[in-house]
Amino acid sequence: MMILLLVLPLLSALLMLLWPRIAPLLALFSAAASSLLALQLLLQVAEQGTRYWLLAGWPSGLAIAWQADTLSCLLILLSTVLQLLVGLYAFATRSRDKLSQGFWPLSTLLQLSLTALWLSRDLFNLYVCLELLGLVAVALVSLSGRKAIKPAFNYLLLSLFGSLCYLLGVVLLYGAYGLLDIAGLASQWQAGWLSNSALLLMSLGLMLKAAIWPLHAWLPAAHAAAPAPVSALLSALVVKGPLFILCLLWLQLASTSQAQAMAPLFAAAGLAALLFGGWSALRTPFAKNLVAYSTVAQLGYATLALGLMLTFDQPLIFAALWLFVLAHALAKAACFLAIGEMSATLGGKRLTILKGASQTMPLAMFAFAVAGGSLIGLPPSGGFLAKWALLQGLWLQGEQLFWPLALVFATLLSAAYVFRVVVLAFDRADPVAPDFAPQLVPQWLALLPALAVWAMALFSEPLLLLLRLEAL
Amino acid sequence: MSLLLFDTLLCGLLLALALASVLSRQLSHAVILYIAFGLLMAMAWARLAAPDLALAEAAIGAGLTGALCFTALARQGQLALSPVVSWQQRCWPALFVLVTLSGLLLALLQIPASPGPLPALVLQELAGSGVSHPVTAVLLNFRSWDTLLELLVLLLALLGTLQVAPAPVRQNSWALSRSWSQLLAPLIILLAGYVLWAGASQPGGAFQAGALLAAGAVVLKLNKQLNWLAWRNIWVRFFAVAGLGVFVIAALAAWLLQGLAAEPVWLRWPPQLAKYIILLIETFATLAIAITLTLLVVAEQPDTPLSLETQDSAGGSDD
Repeated sequence: MMILLLVLPLLSALLMLLWPRIAPLLALFSAAASSLLALQLLLQVAEQGTRYWLLAGWPSGLAIAWQADTLSCLLILLSTVLQLLVGLYAFATRSRDKLSQGFWPLSTLLQLSLTALWLSRDLFNLYVCLELLGLVAVALVSLSGRKAIKPAFNYLLLSLFGSLCYLLGVVLLYGAYGLLDIAGLASQWQAGWLSNSALLLMSLGLMLKAAIWPLHAWLPAAHAAAPAPVSALLSALVVKGPLFILCLLWLQLASTSQAQAMAPLFAAAGLAALLFGGWSALRTPFAKNLVAYSTVAQLGYATLALGLMLTFDQPLIFAALWLFVLAHALAKAACFLAIGEMSATLGGKRLTILKGASQTMPLAMFAFAVAGGSLIGLPPSGGFLAKWALLQGLWLQGEQLFWPLALVFATLLSAAYVFRVVVLAFDRADPVAPDFAPQLVPQWLALLPALAVWAMALFSEPLLLLLRLEAL
Repeated sequence: MSLLLFDTLLCGLLLALALASVLSRQLSHAVILYIAFGLLMAMAWARLAAPDLALAEAAIGAGLTGALCFTALARQGQLALSPVVSWQQRCWPALFVLVTLSGLLLALLQIPASPGPLPALVLQELAGSGVSHPVTAVLLNFRSWDTLLELLVLLLALLGTLQVAPAPVRQNSWALSRSWSQLLAPLIILLAGYVLWAGASQPGGAFQAGALLAAGAVVLKLNKQLNWLAWRNIWVRFFAVAGLGVFVIAALAAWLLQGLAAEPVWLRWPPQLAKYIILLIETFATLAIAITLTLLVVAEQPDTPLSLETQDSAGGSDD
């Protein structure tokens, strides 16, 4: 049954290309069915343990290896559910926002490429998935029309450069070991100049694609230029793909000495992302850029957690890393949809249009504030859960003062940029009048992921348990 | 000795052409040098005993990319002068390239001379794969999932291009080049058919055959022939999509054929049918690749609401 998770989106995307008329319904149907299948897969894996596949039935080494552990299943479920929510939003606003027909097949193919990426445990297959992901993302950004061509083109060039760096690393490893699947490579891994340079090249490419500081400069332009549903998908899901591969490389392949050497660099990059991303979000005059810079900052938490995980090898920190990713994906989807809805209704891109939005569009503003609460890490949201797991992991190591303090400072920064919007929205003296009566359905759809991220707190115990098991 | 001389000459020429192409001041010169570079690159692949790659490089690297660059140049019209880059700005990329290059060279020296375990494994399992050429076996049986996704990459590249495709240029073609392209067409179809069939036992296969067909179609398209070959034509769309569709449906059928076995394996071809399944997939993939590559090179504004112009002018035509 699990194969339907890949076949269904692929076949429906092909049908959408043939008959564009039925595209929206087909896309929604495929996303809904995939969500159910993903949920079933998650339950099955949580019950029976990790599942492995060798594609095409050939012996290990020759075949491409797939693995569905709880982390992969959670990420598949996340991609399909977000796909469904964003698809519903796009469907509800399609005639108002003049969304191009191209959105439907492309977003369905995005779901396919993410699913393939979360499952794959083969370095070359991961490269193909990365390439797919990059091309889909660029095509989605260019849906915005002429003004998006330049950011989309820059994104394409950087994304190709990142892919090539990754591919070069894969080539070096294949030359050295003659193997491509990660489990096989890990068993023969030797620290040396060859594996060092391969790891560094691959990390460079992946960090560029995941917009990890200091290679994040393309992200705000590209994500802000895209239509609202596309920005939600890009920020919530696309940058997480390369991050997943980065974690696979450093946690499963790299030897302890290599990991220890790289850990401070990741931690420092994460901290810098938190500070500079937060600062830029505080300064930018545009609403969408604020949310995009916040993505750069929030990716900093994940990078920081990766660095700390490599240093301390503490399962709680690993759980924190992926909790950050899950919480950020839901919260960011809500933020982009809410901001997109408000800019469409209030007419404008600048932050100042949100003046008095708590009065004119209370529901969308509520969605933004609720999602912002998770970005800050207010209890009991998903963001809080992740931060708490990270702090707890640090405390278990004892005598850590610097990192908790840095986290507190970063939290204050993210609170500052979220409150910047909220304060403006509560300035009710002279509210910006909406261009047309605000629509209720899209606002509710923006609220749904925000509520989901708070609901994560209800499942905190099973989530922590599942993710901690994965680290061992 | 003479081979060594040939190799040194080839490497030197490759480097010289690459440098000349990057440094040349006129874009048209750069493109011509780049095409020459592609041809020599194909020869280098042939010298490295990788004829499959040589075929693909000659067709894609030299042929289609060259045509693509020239069409882009022709549409560009008067080029604005590129901004002058100062020496300080050039320093950082140069430093990055130097550091990466030296690191890579050092790493390359450490690569063991013996190939890994996989080539032997491929030869050992070749009998059950349905074809006798190892490259085709890897592409369409051992690692067919990669190939399926690669076909999707190609289709996606086309979808992305259609979003930003330019308006068609009204230009007349020369009578001589038109009749020459018409003469070439049947030859190319014959050659592509042979390359496709040969793929089962020797270098060749869907990608090379598709690229050859596309090269012929591009020449015809540039001479204002084949007007039906456009994205708005539903049959063109159907065959562009059918490469992937047939692949997936064949995989699904094979999956169901394994029947009610406890755990059916995805993309596993039954050994006695493997040859026919692979031939079927390759035939449709060839057509899909040919159509996709042709449309990629000479992409024109489709009439579907996929494109920019319709968005800008007609606006809400999405229902």
